[in-house]
Amino acid sequence: MKKILSLLIIAVLLLGIMTGCNVQTKDQVTGGNTSETSNEPVDLNLLAMSSMEKDANILRDQLSKAGFNVKLNIQPDYSSYVGQKDAGNYDMAITSWNTVTGNPDYAVRSLFISNGDYNDYGLVNEEIDRLINEAATQTSDQYVATYKTFEEVLVKENAYIIPLYSNYKSQAVNNTILKVDSVRLSKSRSLPWENVDFIDESKGNSEPLIFSQTMPSLTSLDPIKGNDGSINIINTNMYVRLVNLTDNDEVTSVGSLSHNHAIGEGNTEYYFILRDDINFAKVDNKKAVDSGELVAAEDVVFSMDRARNKDSVPDHRTFTLHSSMEKIEIVTDLKELESKKQSGNASSIKDGLEAGLSTTIKELVADKAQVSNKDGKYQVVKITTNKPFPQVLNYLAHQSAGIVSKKQIEAVNTYNVATFDRNKDVAYGDQMTITEGATYDNTLMTSGPYIAIYKNDYEIAFQKNPGYMISTSHEPKVSNIVVKFIKDADSSLSAFRSGEIHFLYGIPEDKFEIVENDSKLTLQKRPNNAVVYAFFNMKGGSEFSDVNLRKAILYNVSQEEFIAVYNNLKINAYSTVTPLVDTGNIHLKDHSKANEFLNMYWESKE
Amino acid sequence: MENKHYYKRINGRKLNRFQEHSIVSYSWGVSFILSIAMLIFSYDIVTRQIESFIASLAFVFLGTGIIQFLISLRVKNEILKFNEIKGSTRKLGYLLLIMGATGNIFSIIAGFTLIRKDRTIEYTISIYSIMTTIAIMVISSLNIFKEYVANNFFIGIIILGLLSLYYIFMMYMVTKHINGKRVDKKLIPLTVPLLGSILIGNFFAFVLGLIIISKYRHKDDEISIEWISVLRRLFRNYMSVIGMFFVVLLISLSICSNMTFDYSLAIDNNYSSLLQTPSLEYPFGTDNYGRCVFTRIVFGARISLVVGIIATMVPIVIGGILGALAGYYGKRTDNTIMRILDILYAVPGILLAIAIIAAFGASTMNLILALSIGAVPMYARTVRATVMSIANQEFVEAARACGARNFTIIFKHIIPNSLAPVIVRATLGIGGVVLSTSSLSYLGLGVEPHIPEWGNILKIGSGYLETKPYLAIFPGLAIILIVLAFNYFGDGLRDALDPKLK
Repeated sequence: MKKILSLLIIAVLLLGIMTGCNVQTKDQVTGGNTSETSNEPVDLNLLAMSSMEKDANILRDQLSKAGFNVKLNIQPDYSSYVGQKDAGNYDMAITSWNTVTGNPDYAVRSLFISNGDYNDYGLVNEEIDRLINEAATQTSDQYVATYKTFEEVLVKENAYIIPLYSNYKSQAVNNTILKVDSVRLSKSRSLPWENVDFIDESKGNSEPLIFSQTMPSLTSLDPIKGNDGSINIINTNMYVRLVNLTDNDEVTSVGSLSHNHAIGEGNTEYYFILRDDINFAKVDNKKAVDSGELVAAEDVVFSMDRARNKDSVPDHRTFTLHSSMEKIEIVTDLKELESKKQSGNASSIKDGLEAGLSTTIKELVADKAQVSNKDGKYQVVKITTNKPFPQVLNYLAHQSAGIVSKKQIEAVNTYNVATFDRNKDVAYGDQMTITEGATYDNTLMTSGPYIAIYKNDYEIAFQKNPGYMISTSHEPKVSNIVVKFIKDADSSLSAFRSGEIHFLYGIPEDKFEIVENDSKLTLQKRPNNAVVYAFFNMKGGSEFSDVNLRKAILYNVSQEEFIAVYNNLKINAYSTVTPLVDTGNIHLKDHSKANEFLNMYWESKE
Repeated sequence: MENKHYYKRINGRKLNRFQEHSIVSYSWGVSFILSIAMLIFSYDIVTRQIESFIASLAFVFLGTGIIQFLISLRVKNEILKFNEIKGSTRKLGYLLLIMGATGNIFSIIAGFTLIRKDRTIEYTISIYSIMTTIAIMVISSLNIFKEYVANNFFIGIIILGLLSLYYIFMMYMVTKHINGKRVDKKLIPLTVPLLGSILIGNFFAFVLGLIIISKYRHKDDEISIEWISVLRRLFRNYMSVIGMFFVVLLISLSICSNMTFDYSLAIDNNYSSLLQTPSLEYPFGTDNYGRCVFTRIVFGARISLVVGIIATMVPIVIGGILGALAGYYGKRTDNTIMRILDILYAVPGILLAIAIIAAFGASTMNLILALSIGAVPMYARTVRATVMSIANQEFVEAARACGARNFTIIFKHIIPNSLAPVIVRATLGIGGVVLSTSSLSYLGLGVEPHIPEWGNILKIGSGYLETKPYLAIFPGLAIILIVLAFNYFGDGLRDALDPKLK
């Protein structure tokens, strides 16, 4: 008994001594005082979607360390997030913006201009409106300074938004199946499917190429009726456009409907000379066939007119992108091209359009039946904007500016737009028309490299357009493409790693290591145009309509800590313009400035 | 052939009479399992290298395991040969105690069990109360490898140290001054701190205090005190005692962690120490926000236990009352109450919880509410069945004949007599509630994401299963451990309360 007692007492004393030696308490290390201001903490209600939980967590952490009392409001999906936002149940909300057109005007206009499409948080500032409108009329060399001032007004002077970081775009290729260099990774534009090829080229005609997509419900296969993740890639590959974007977001005619394009002096007139080797494809008996109908100038005019006209279809979702176009017409007078000068260039429009063509322009025709490029009979389309706006070309490269068949659309969309009844009328591009079952009636007629054959709950299948740029480098390499619907990112990654799908878009940052360590997978990444930022509720009802309080938040946020948590796979950003224009603005955390502004806030309250 | 079976049974019966044998066997078993697990962990598959620190630990466990195995062989032989354990073998218990320094709790328990031949219930309980405080001291002392410790750390450790010394003193006192049912009067004032131990969650010390007082008060009675004999039966079941020990340890730890752990390490991000591998400073590594996973798990126990216990108590009260009314009055009352509860029963509990949380938002209060409602019918059914059998017994009829009102009969006579099955059910139920809490947090429906909760911690770990598996293994083990502990405890409780096994 005595032995047990002494043994235990020794054990307790040993433990006590061991823990006592050379250890400092928290106060000894940190100095004890945590809050520098004597004022009570300001409450802040932070709204975010659960997909941005990480950002919400870091922001919460940074702000609560700075003495704010942060309450998280995390909503599981986009619609409940919007519901909370509309109800005004937030002081600050986290969001992300991706400039899919690759031009800075799109990155600022709808977000920050007074009454912009996405400006639903009460931002009204005349200076910002003026700067946005001024930059829109300028060319890329001129607008750098304007956007720099714009950013300073937006962030530094008013702290309307808190920039957090900008993203990398990532994708991964199974390098045992696909040629890695045939899979492009562009800054803004969606992956062009026609270039993708198998390592074993003979498989192109027999085996399908398999991708995946998270969203199984397709908004619409009519390009102007949707602008979201469910159809952007699909519609990009089903409809050809007047111009394309290069991987670095420069406007190009390569791989588009035009041979060349030229900007007229004054930056309001834009000319496009069309190719004659693209026919519309249609589906006959679940097979893609060449309709024999040329994609021509009248289809372009028709498509552009309906793109900018709000009332051309019910649920038109993209007309704001195309509102700058005033007039779209077919040019038949060759003299106009000869007499007109190009913008910033002494040569004529005709010279610009002819550059690199094997046959010069001999005649301009309006009727598609007479077109023959090898005989010099070309079609030219002219687009006039309502004000000088060079960035219109970026919108023309957007998925929503895809060319549709005039004849087919007019034949299918026979309903009256004003009295459209979605239960009775069937619009062109409705996903129900290609869904297997009783409603299947595939009326698609596409100008792009691929056409959708059918869709079900698990996948959507495409076949190549047999009349698309035959025997050029843009002819689709693979005949069949299947896009599988896999809702969950982790399951998609598993399917990709097992070889079930050949290519995967958007790898989560914490999975980069897994993909990189797998020798049969190749990870590709590059900075893209997406910026994550937080904005304030300025509609009233929130304390944060006070500019000093907003600035106190701004200077308490450290982007470096976000980047550290994301394993250095994020980039500093100052506004949504940062990935597009190098303005040189950078955000730095400044604790003393933050306290200064917080004190100013309290003083103004007294 | 017959003989062989016969001897096997006889030997088994002999061994069963000595708890020492099974407990010592457990200790070597655990040592071997731990050493194998550590050997596997020490080999890094990617770099094909062996981590020397973990590997040497594995060999330490292997060594102690072999010694424990030899001791258990010796114990077995002596039991089979002499039907008793010799004094020299009992001395080996001290060796087992020393080997407990490796952290093998089973070895310490085996040591204490082996050392003393005549173990009273007071001795056993005081051993567990000492072990609880020492274990908390050991767990807390892991904090000294951190950059700094919580401000109250030293005060906490000193209090725990003094308490341990006091418990050791009490162990000495109870073996000296309690003889069967005779309790020395001078022990009574000493029980005050024992009863006060409930404030730090040390239920063993609390129960010890109760035993002393109750024995003193009933010293002249002839019959034995019922609940003490239940306890004695409970402590005879080794696995249930281990379960109970873990439950008490976790409850006590989640209270003591207020003093000895720094909460900011569990919730504040630390951007300079992201995703670190386990080390002395961060025993379970750090997560993707640089928070110490060890500290998070310690603080996570609090929410799991609070939600687990409250979300079990609430349906017991509601379901108990409803079940008692239904069982006692029968007929139409019974039909109405039970059919309504059947409707609730038909809705899957976890789905109901998800629906409630989706509707009212994620918070601890709603979590408790959501988990409580689904469990009401289960307890109502249990109570109803017991009440129905009790309501027809003679003592109820006697009460009725004496003119007692229904209310009095139900709450004074029937409910106290039908508590046993509910208690067992509740103990088993807490484990289930802890699991549900973690599942909901894992789905992002429980508490706020930065609040340490085991499901939350596991969720972060699940993203790194391939690259940093320890982030998921430790919270997973914690969940498994607490559910197992409650289940074993509940099992033992059922056996102890079963009148047939008296």
